[in-house]
Amino acid sequence: MNPSTIIHVGAVARAFSSYADFLDGEFATVQCVEVAIEEHADGPVLRLVPPERPSTQWLLTEIRLVPDQADRSVLVLALKSDPVSRLMVSDAETQRLLLARCPNLKKRPPAKGKGRLLIWSVAAIASVALIIGVLIPVMADQLAEYLPLEGETALGDTTFEQVRAALSENELDPVRICENPRGMIALGRMQARLEEQTDLPYPISVHVLDHDLVNAFALPGGHIVIFRGLIEAAESADEVAAVFAHEIGHVVNRDPTRGALRSAGSIGVLGLVFGDFAGGAAVLFMVERLIDATYNREAEAGADVFAHRTLAEAGIPPSALGTMFERLRAKYGDAEGIVAHFLSHPSLGDRIAAANRAADSMTTSARPSLMEEDWQALRQICR
Amino acid sequence: MALSDLQTDYAGSKGRLFRLATWTSLLTVVTLGFYRFWMKTRLRRYYWSAIRPGGQPLEYVGQPLEKLLGFLIAVAFLAFYIGIVNLILMFLSFSLFQGNFVAYVLSFIGVIPILFFARYRARRYILARTRWRGLRFGLEQGAWGYSWRAIVHWLITICSVGLLWPRMTFWLEKYRTDRTFFGTESFEQGGNWKMLYRPYLPFLTGMIIIAMAAVFAFQENITAVLVAAGFGITISSYGLAHYNVHSFRKLTNTKSLGSIGFVARPRPWRVVRIYCFGYALVCLGLMLLMGIIFGVAIALITSTFGLGDFDIELLNFGPDLPFWASTVLAAVLYFSIFLGWGVLRQVFVTLPLARHYSETLEITGASGFASIGQRARDEFTEAEGFAEALDVGAAI
Repeated sequence: MNPSTIIHVGAVARAFSSYADFLDGEFATVQCVEVAIEEHADGPVLRLVPPERPSTQWLLTEIRLVPDQADRSVLVLALKSDPVSRLMVSDAETQRLLLARCPNLKKRPPAKGKGRLLIWSVAAIASVALIIGVLIPVMADQLAEYLPLEGETALGDTTFEQVRAALSENELDPVRICENPRGMIALGRMQARLEEQTDLPYPISVHVLDHDLVNAFALPGGHIVIFRGLIEAAESADEVAAVFAHEIGHVVNRDPTRGALRSAGSIGVLGLVFGDFAGGAAVLFMVERLIDATYNREAEAGADVFAHRTLAEAGIPPSALGTMFERLRAKYGDAEGIVAHFLSHPSLGDRIAAANRAADSMTTSARPSLMEEDWQALRQICR
Repeated sequence: MALSDLQTDYAGSKGRLFRLATWTSLLTVVTLGFYRFWMKTRLRRYYWSAIRPGGQPLEYVGQPLEKLLGFLIAVAFLAFYIGIVNLILMFLSFSLFQGNFVAYVLSFIGVIPILFFARYRARRYILARTRWRGLRFGLEQGAWGYSWRAIVHWLITICSVGLLWPRMTFWLEKYRTDRTFFGTESFEQGGNWKMLYRPYLPFLTGMIIIAMAAVFAFQENITAVLVAAGFGITISSYGLAHYNVHSFRKLTNTKSLGSIGFVARPRPWRVVRIYCFGYALVCLGLMLLMGIIFGVAIALITSTFGLGDFDIELLNFGPDLPFWASTVLAAVLYFSIFLGWGVLRQVFVTLPLARHYSETLEITGASGFASIGQRARDEFTEAEGFAEALDVGAAI
């Protein structure tokens, strides 16, 4: 066997010595030291002998390897108890010996300041939660009240154009607004009927979009959007009127405006937390949706209550809202229907029950929301 | 070359960096970004240790947990500022200007002082955790001073239509350099801003030609616009590299550390070549990666759904492919492109650039190091947290 491959262990080890570069962490000079492994009362040590200076000893159990070094021909060693000294070993034989005899080379130092880390983790989470969960919603609610009409209308106009472009397959060709004159008249009659009972903050403008989605939504500044798909799915004018009343509820409660202000605040904060992560944008988007959904649940319940009252006062049975929801449930199922929209809504079952209860306690006598002729015109609004 | 001059070696290798970067990026994705503090630490250790002035590697001794702590502290404070300020700006923008554009502009302007502040602090953290020959580097406090100076210099630069850019480069570099230490010795930036003007001329020429293109556009002279824009963009792109490289040279050569001096000789064409070839290789690599992913996906789909049914249309996320399968494929593609881009860019652009800048750096009068002693550790609890939260200057 080649003598250089024999590694002697324990008290019988052959005297061994070599040279290495030593940095003492006090001055910027590289010292060439003689290194030798010696047996000692506390265990084996590496003795470092600089020329013309007193020697030092490193316990082999306390020697650590500095990780992730680019130049693998040199071993960079550190001492556990000394943050600055370094020993650079280039000699292959010495490297092999040290790698074999130092048992804790890859042991990491214990994490310092865990308590402080914990405190600040709590502080950061609390701060983000407080701001997104309390401060921003409260401020958004307050500010929404003071936003002047022109501002809100501008906000709504911007969003409306974005929605039209987003729903279209071709960015340059936004989804068409349906404007069949007879249908528009019918829609106007329905609107007048519902508005009679309401004290609106500003005039409402309602649009029907030529799209298959069975859905409707409200935007800031009094825009209400109903999709053709919803009108086609409804079996009576009352069902459309019920959804319409629900959306008016959002307008009266200024939900869309509050939502827009809220997301302006929370997007920035979430960007801080997730910004730098690969795919940060995707995570950011999902978290934003999630937070939005929690806010929305409350807003949806509020709009339902408004719709029940308005419908009852206008003489339209609030159960029509329940019928519409049932149709949605039959078509899409409770959870995944109209994925984006209704996931954020209270469970459809509860809402149907609430609508039926409201219908039972209705005191005015029922009148259909539209004459048959107008209902047929509304159904043709996109032709 | 005198005996006391030190050449700089570079020991980084593309293969090892590729493995290290790929592995740590994968862990970062899997941990939803949490591992990024460890990733940065490990990559910096690698990059630092590759640079070896006089044969001795630099050492990066920053710790992942201190970065995490600094990040948490920054989030706790910045969340208030960003959240509330954005909300109020959005409100004001819609009330007074009927649009959100003003809000975006204002919220960006509001963050600018913090951006410069954060960059200076990140530099302080990084220098405080960098060692060479066992001695620490350091940067004095002065982040707010840097921030307002940077803003004033930018304003002057903008008001001078960019003509005074070299002045800004010089004075900001001087502010940083004069506060930088190696052990007990302080760096000093000599020279003056006018020395950076010659390196600036190619870029300026390119910009003037682009301005001419704008004038031609006003006169509706399409051919002239295209020719001028083509020349202008080419010349100013080279001009930018030329300015970066030569201003680096001039600034480095006029720096001193006591009796120690520096000579930097990076070459602009070499830098341009590294960028061009590097990004070409990054794109090739990404195409290869996507090819492999689609290959594996097709193999999986055909083996699962039967060879006979296979149709290339399946990959259009058509109705035949189950929802979960198309979602997984989309997610794998998304993350691979993200990850592949970051890793390949480090391997083919960052590393070659570091190599070129290192190998062309020489230290003169190295006997002066004998009298430099150690400096105390700068604890600096916030580390680079602000830069990390705001995504500025804390990248590798």
